[in-house]
Amino acid sequence: MAPVTFSNVKKSYGAVKVIHGVDIDIADGEFVVLVGPSGCGKSTLLRMLAGLETISDGEIAIGDLVVNDLEPKHRDIAMVFQNYALYPHMTVEENMGFSLLHRGASTAEIKERVDWAAGILGLAEYLGRRPGQLSGGQRQRVAMGRAIVRNPKVFLFDEPLSNLDAKLRVVMRGEIKALHQKLKTTTLYVTHDQVEAMTMADKIVVLNGGHIEQIGTPLDLYDNPVNQFVAAFIGSPSMNFIKGRVDGDHFVAGDARLPVPPGAAEGRDLVYGIRPEHFTLAADGGIEAEVVVVEPMGSETQVTMRIAGQNVFGTFRERVLALPGSRLTLNVDPADTHLFDAETGLRLPRDAV
Amino acid sequence: MTVVASPSELSRRKRPYWTMARRDSLAGYVFVAPQAIGIAVFVLVPLLLVFWYSLHEWNVLAQTFRFKGLENYHRLLSDPGLPEVLIATAIFSIFLVVFNMSLALLLAVLLNQKLRGITVFRTLFFSPVVVSLVAWTIVWSFLLQNNGGLNGILDHFGIEGPNWLRHPTTAMIAVVVVQVFKNVGLNMILFLAALQGVPKELYEAARVDGIPAFRQFRRITLPMISPTVMLTSIITIVGSLQVFAQIAVLTQGGPGMSTTVLVYYLYQQAFEFHNFGYGATLSILLFVIVAALTFLQWQMRKRIVFYEN
Repeated sequence: MAPVTFSNVKKSYGAVKVIHGVDIDIADGEFVVLVGPSGCGKSTLLRMLAGLETISDGEIAIGDLVVNDLEPKHRDIAMVFQNYALYPHMTVEENMGFSLLHRGASTAEIKERVDWAAGILGLAEYLGRRPGQLSGGQRQRVAMGRAIVRNPKVFLFDEPLSNLDAKLRVVMRGEIKALHQKLKTTTLYVTHDQVEAMTMADKIVVLNGGHIEQIGTPLDLYDNPVNQFVAAFIGSPSMNFIKGRVDGDHFVAGDARLPVPPGAAEGRDLVYGIRPEHFTLAADGGIEAEVVVVEPMGSETQVTMRIAGQNVFGTFRERVLALPGSRLTLNVDPADTHLFDAETGLRLPRDAV
Repeated sequence: MTVVASPSELSRRKRPYWTMARRDSLAGYVFVAPQAIGIAVFVLVPLLLVFWYSLHEWNVLAQTFRFKGLENYHRLLSDPGLPEVLIATAIFSIFLVVFNMSLALLLAVLLNQKLRGITVFRTLFFSPVVVSLVAWTIVWSFLLQNNGGLNGILDHFGIEGPNWLRHPTTAMIAVVVVQVFKNVGLNMILFLAALQGVPKELYEAARVDGIPAFRQFRRITLPMISPTVMLTSIITIVGSLQVFAQIAVLTQGGPGMSTTVLVYYLYQQAFEFHNFGYGATLSILLFVIVAALTFLQWQMRKRIVFYEN
């Protein structure tokens, strides 16, 4: 186990810059998730830490050791690949023991480590099988087993669940988290799925276009996104954005007036942000919304509505029985709202709101 | 009351003869027919004819064609020249296969790099495959003559080269090398395709796990390309047993019998000595050898070849 530090890390392929100076501190034993849309550079960062990509500028350190020029094998890391990268001609046991074999471990030691890992991952009865004879989830576990037998300082996961179906993904998410709680090994995990990031991370790094947008705990990012990108990316269904201006203690968009905390910046184009679950049904005298689509989920009802000609999405604990075209009146707690600068996308600080 | 047709009633209803299943199976036969007819006319019939001829004494010049039963096969077993021919064939084939396959794999690994201009080299090494065999061999026979190009080059360095094609050992080396250089490109391309089919994540995983390069090759690359190794070895072994033109142009089987491989011996018997019956018997022997070797390799494939499924 060891902390990991990225200091002003940059990456370019020829003239094309893909990572523009990234700083991340990962504490010893922390589970950090790199999340962002495809092409944001998250996998590249992970591969730079693994030693599979060179570092154009800046420094990456594992513990006190700067690893920029170290071969992957000298970094004491283990990696789980998106397509598992299992050796198809080897059995599960050989796959997991392969790296130990080449580190001079004795047969007994290898057996002990492999059995230990297989025990943790529930693979004991599959040791004699080949990857082709396993299900997706089992292959994923073998890939994890191959990583944990070496007891490395850092685990790297590169979108490990994206080849699994939705149900299995939820199961494996839990297993990876449980594994981390058991082993407490420093983990860097890359995904494009914000749900994975929210549910698994101690700390989330949101990346976009080779820049860090925000670093924080899952709930911190959810409640206090620094800009519209993070606000939109974190949370599902996504935050609603309505364009308009502040007038007194209301946000005015077309003919709709939405409540804001007092003292908000007046007189310039802003974007009003509100999460779907922060709409509540009002008995009377609220915001008028026209119902477009009602999707009953059982535990909640999701409703697509139009406010001032702009589509918004609400989730309600109540069972909304409104028909498309009918009108709902909604309430919003001003404390749950966010205001973003329409030009820069930055969120206006609370005290200035 | 609902009316349901009983099974007997249903079967009595008139169904057209050309049901969908029958139409599909007719289409299948029609698709297969050209190939099946081709194989029958050009492979099976000649094979049977050769076997038929091998039971006869057939001298084309004397226009004799007499049934002799198994006499040609008795002659085969007591032919004093045959052991020498078989030994030459074995030496030629073994050296050719080993040299060809290892050189092809080495080239494929070297040419499997992402370097600027690598396709030029790939084309270069493959180009002899598409050159006319006889032209290729004639050029080499000029190079290998006593006063030919190769000895000319050696002469510049003060080395007196041997008369390559006139010593038993160097003649054998020469025919093997000329044949390998001609055909190594084909195996190289097949190996190259196989190498590029190995997922690169396997190598990345191995790098992270600290597996040294040579072990990566032995424990990952070789098993992953083993189906291609199997394929190329069958093609190369069978091909090595059928070499004729190179021998005919370069050495005519000499010096002595040192490069008289089975096919060349067969040619001599049939077309130089006009013993077509015995020639046919020799080609049955060649057929049996090729079939046996292929069968053997096919049996071994389970132990040496890894298949994904």
